[in-house]
Amino acid sequence: MKFEQAVKKSIKDFLAGKVPANLMRQSEDGLIYTPEYLDKIEEQMLDAPADTKKKNKKETVDEV
Amino acid sequence: MKFSAPIPGANFTTDTRNYGWHRPPEITNFDDGVEYLIRKMDDPDQSDLIFSLIEMKTPITVIVSTLMLQAISRGKIPIDLGILMSGPVARYIEILAKSEGLPYEMGADDKDRLSITPTALKVALGIIDSEDELPPEEVLALSGSKSEGGLMTRPDGTTAAPAEEQEAMLGMAVEEPVEVTEEEMVDGLA
Repeated sequence: MKFEQAVKKSIKDFLAGKVPANLMRQSEDGLIYTPEYLDKIEEQMLDAPADTKKKNKKETVDEV
Repeated sequence: MKFSAPIPGANFTTDTRNYGWHRPPEITNFDDGVEYLIRKMDDPDQSDLIFSLIEMKTPITVIVSTLMLQAISRGKIPIDLGILMSGPVARYIEILAKSEGLPYEMGADDKDRLSITPTALKVALGIIDSEDELPPEEVLALSGSKSEGGLMTRPDGTTAAPAEEQEAMLGMAVEEPVEVTEEEMVDGLA
């Protein structure tokens, strides 16, 4: 398997809501960047008015 | 025999410390890695580049691969972490595209996939005007059609010989007696 194919497979799995089990076990507090967390970011960014989108985007990342 | 391979111990003869990927990576944590790339994408220069690529209908998977290779070559992240991080980074780029109202292509599906060959690129870039200038084998590769027939071609089920012919090949067919004339017998003896 080539690197690009592995990346594509990883993206496909993540979009399907799958996160590798061993990766989840890596962190005691749990991972931050899970599919659910990114869904929340999407909601926040898409709900925000156009002029504040960029500002909110940075704030969202800073919160982390 | 492989003559192009390096000789055993060749790696000890060169100084490899100049390459980023030969040193331990700076980031080994999943969340730290994703955050690093998200912050990098928030940089105006990087985000403009990403939006331009999306507008050019570059699949997000290709953009992510490029970002990962860049980070790996600079010694920021290890290769395996790069593969694991691809999912959240691609999702974030998708969110950015949606928030900017840009039509995007994820590229994670294999259907409708076009294989990029050197010949296809030459035609697309206008280096070759038409397929007529190409040798037949390259035209065949460009069209993606398979060659049919040939002695060593694997049968696909439709090219099987009829039952009678198969029986004849196996020696199971009833052979019709061949009448031999007197002249033929004489010639055969001569």
